[in-house]
Amino acid sequence: MSSSSSTRRTRTVRLTFTYAVLSIAALAVLAPVLWMVSTALKTDQGIFSSPPRWISGELSLEAATRVWSVYPFLRYLTNSVIVVASSTIVSVLFSCLAGYGLARFRFPGRGSFLTFLLMSQMFPSIMLLVPYYKIFQTTGLVNTHAALIVTYVSFTIPFCTWMMYGYFRGIPPELDEAAGIDGASRFQTFYRVVMPLAMPGVAAVAIYSFITAWNEYMFALVLTQSEDMKTLAVGIGQMVGQYRTSWNDLMASSLYASIPLVLIFVLLQRHLISGLTAGAVKA
Amino acid sequence: MFRKTLAAVLALATTTTLTACGGGGSGAADDGTITLKVMSATVVEKPEGDVERGFADAFMKENPNIKVEFIGTPMNDIYARLTTMATGGDLPDVFTNSPEFSTQASSLGIVEPLDDLLGADYVNGFEKVPLDQARLDGKLQFAPFFTIPTGLLYRKDLFDKAGLQPPKTWDEFRTDAKKLTVDTNDDDVPDRYGFAMVGSNNGSGGSRFIPIMRTFGTQELRKEGDSWATGFDTPEAVSAFQLYGDLVNVDKVVPPGPFQTSYAEAVALMASDKAAMMVTGPHSIGAITAQSPQLEGKLAGAPLPSAPGHETASVLGMLGFSISNQSKHKDAAAKYLQFVLSKQNQLAWNAKTGRLPVRSDAAADPQVQRPELKGFVEAQKYAFQLPQAPFYPRLQVIAAEGYQSVISQKASAQQAAADAAKKTQTEIDQAG
Amino acid sequence: MATTATSVGRFGPAVRRQGAVVRRNRRTGLLFVLPGLLAMVALVVYPLGYGVLISFFKTNLVNQWTWIGLDNYANALQNPAFVKSLGTTVVFAVGTVAGTLLIGMALALLLNQEFRGRTFFRVVLILPWVLPEVVVALLWRWMYNPLYGIVSYYGSTLGLGTEWLEHAGSAKVAVILTSVWKGFPLVMVLLLAGLQGIGKELYEAAAMDGAGAIRSFRHVTLPGLAPVLLITLILESVWWFKHFTIVWLLTGGGPVDSTKVVSISIYQTAFENFQWGRSAAMAVVVFVICLVASAVYRRLIRDEQ
Repeated sequence: MSSSSSTRRTRTVRLTFTYAVLSIAALAVLAPVLWMVSTALKTDQGIFSSPPRWISGELSLEAATRVWSVYPFLRYLTNSVIVVASSTIVSVLFSCLAGYGLARFRFPGRGSFLTFLLMSQMFPSIMLLVPYYKIFQTTGLVNTHAALIVTYVSFTIPFCTWMMYGYFRGIPPELDEAAGIDGASRFQTFYRVVMPLAMPGVAAVAIYSFITAWNEYMFALVLTQSEDMKTLAVGIGQMVGQYRTSWNDLMASSLYASIPLVLIFVLLQRHLISGLTAGAVKA
Repeated sequence: MFRKTLAAVLALATTTTLTACGGGGSGAADDGTITLKVMSATVVEKPEGDVERGFADAFMKENPNIKVEFIGTPMNDIYARLTTMATGGDLPDVFTNSPEFSTQASSLGIVEPLDDLLGADYVNGFEKVPLDQARLDGKLQFAPFFTIPTGLLYRKDLFDKAGLQPPKTWDEFRTDAKKLTVDTNDDDVPDRYGFAMVGSNNGSGGSRFIPIMRTFGTQELRKEGDSWATGFDTPEAVSAFQLYGDLVNVDKVVPPGPFQTSYAEAVALMASDKAAMMVTGPHSIGAITAQSPQLEGKLAGAPLPSAPGHETASVLGMLGFSISNQSKHKDAAAKYLQFVLSKQNQLAWNAKTGRLPVRSDAAADPQVQRPELKGFVEAQKYAFQLPQAPFYPRLQVIAAEGYQSVISQKASAQQAAADAAKKTQTEIDQAG
Repeated sequence: MATTATSVGRFGPAVRRQGAVVRRNRRTGLLFVLPGLLAMVALVVYPLGYGVLISFFKTNLVNQWTWIGLDNYANALQNPAFVKSLGTTVVFAVGTVAGTLLIGMALALLLNQEFRGRTFFRVVLILPWVLPEVVVALLWRWMYNPLYGIVSYYGSTLGLGTEWLEHAGSAKVAVILTSVWKGFPLVMVLLLAGLQGIGKELYEAAAMDGAGAIRSFRHVTLPGLAPVLLITLILESVWWFKHFTIVWLLTGGGPVDSTKVVSISIYQTAFENFQWGRSAAMAVVVFVICLVASAVYRRLIRDEQ
């Protein structure tokens, strides 16, 4: 009797501690985000209140609406969606294929390929700007969606392949054999039997690719030339002008830009944990 | 499904190995329309962009067979982008150029000299000072577009109320700044400061410090025979660094956070009535009144103060347009430039953005002599030619690092100046 | 693949079948890897090779190419500013990785329990990861502003001063703080995932042996997490060592050069001074450092096991 009540007490203590710490962390995360919201709702004059106030003057929607009318925001958003969705699909596809190949087959160069993937992450990306530009300039792809799609695919494949490799290793090979005995080809096995089981891992890898590509700024800046090709990251970066920073516009547009990501994450977050579990552990 | 994947893969592979003819910035469609690609740094700014687009629209109306397409690039990124494009042999027909960049542009071999394209008569119609600074080895690198000479922008209404005249020496400046640093609500914290110093460690800050240093009588870089020599280690330079340090730490006339204050922040400080003076060009008047219409008519300019016995100095801050030597439509480009630089357009540009015209016909117009611009027109007379060294942008950052170390009291003005000189010398040695 | 038991001589049907199976294995394996391989070769080998190549030249990438061998490397490594920036980067990377690891680990452990509202906390704590880097940098820059920013405002009431970005020491802290805020969710999620993979039986066994929270952490959790920890450490260290955006937008490397991480030096050398060969050499140095660091990590963690 006494042991269960002391266990209950320990559990209550632990729970209280948990809630307390998590709440502090949540506050530390939400405070800056709420500041974004508060700034986005200020007038041009209200931004510069010293000392700073959460609400200065009246709440104003002028920044929130101006973002859509003055800047080609819809165009930026469309470009981001096209580029990021495409690169995510391609990246997930390639890394699933590669991850499966690495997990199930033995072939020469397998180990080197894995190491090579890791190494590719280590070169400062700034230096890659010029060679990437030359590649796309030679193929006539500058200022196209294709250039950014290819770029983001190359950025996300290494991490995604590693994760999918680990995750596939966690799926018992007996399933593959059973399918093989039933007469399925290797590819059918992959497609019909293994992939459905790997959906959580796919979701995990998709979220990572999506977020990484959506946030990317430098390559999008260099590889897009005309207004109608720019992505959100570039459009937002331009609001810090040479001559003027419009803070309320900036915060408003940043919030708008974050909403799609939050939505996608909320939808997929269940899969995210179980996806990364096996992938990370086995890698 | 597998076959489809394979097909997709092969398609991707083919696309990436396709060698198309890149090169050239524009095309000629079958119906004879020419497309001019113009890479401009001013077209992304507000309100400049609207005016510039207006010019292009009017031009296209008059010349239906020429289409003008802007590649808007923020000033911060434009030279990086041009270099990247140059490596790919894929340049726009027209691009923004400046005295700061023209040496580099010329060494990249991308600039078409404009003397012949525009014609000697036309070229003579430019004001002398800008024209001289647009030349390299006697060849015209770009058509000047406007100047924004550095001077002292100040709140005329506050000066009048305090009975002050624009300062002629730095000591007067310090006194004036102190008088204008006021605590209006008695909370021991100033509500308005005398001077919005641009103290960031980049070209924005450095390009303001350097003319100030020149008003002390020394040059950050001067030609010496075939090479260069620096004046960063002179006592005059030390005084300049000392001034910056004192303004922040001794006089306390600078709003908190000078290191985070780039041009945009300084404008915001002026616009929100937190500062009474800043070092900038006439274009800031429009920027400030755009944020605070109530300051309309309350701003004016004056040449920078100087050290006793020395002349004031200014930087032209000129931008212009170059025509790429790879362009297939040089004549059309020249026509476009002449259109943009017409007297009517120069005056419209001046009216809307405060930037000074470079064509003599426009510069003589009384509009340019209006009170708020008079000080800057005066300052322009003292604009010095930027040394045409390829590493010159580096000097602006070196200067910035110098004044930051003095302001943060990590080094004395003496040490900071010596450091700056050493770094500059390294650049000189490594460039040779 | 299972092999058939009978074989009739070297060229018997069973062995032939096995050989065929192995060969098809290899070929199929390669086919699966091929798309990823092609993409990576084109987009990684060429740029890396290009970068290494130009590091041996003094060049403007267009019409001036002068072979200078290892001069760029010598200049870079002998340049006190560059060496200093390497040190600054190490401080920044260590600080940020330590911060994200500690906070990520703590939160992962807490979120590993079952309790009401777990999903809410998970979603909220993910937010910094989801916001674009540029936005986070500019947001925090605004928050650190001495006149208008809330960090300065609340900081001054706590006696922490208002000019965080104006002084070398506090600027470093400010930059690390922002980076940790941005980076901890990814670590938290990776570690949380790793924790899910450690069987409950192990904890129960440890509890039966009388181990308290701390000892079971050391003897059950840490070893179970070791593979995840390794790859997280490597990736995080490399990513933050190469990092550019947050520092560049917050301080531009200042005050003076106290937050000038090496990627800023590389950027300025290439895009502001147009010394492409030199910046390529600096980039290769960074690459080698990351390579060595990851090798060291792997050696260390393998030894512990």
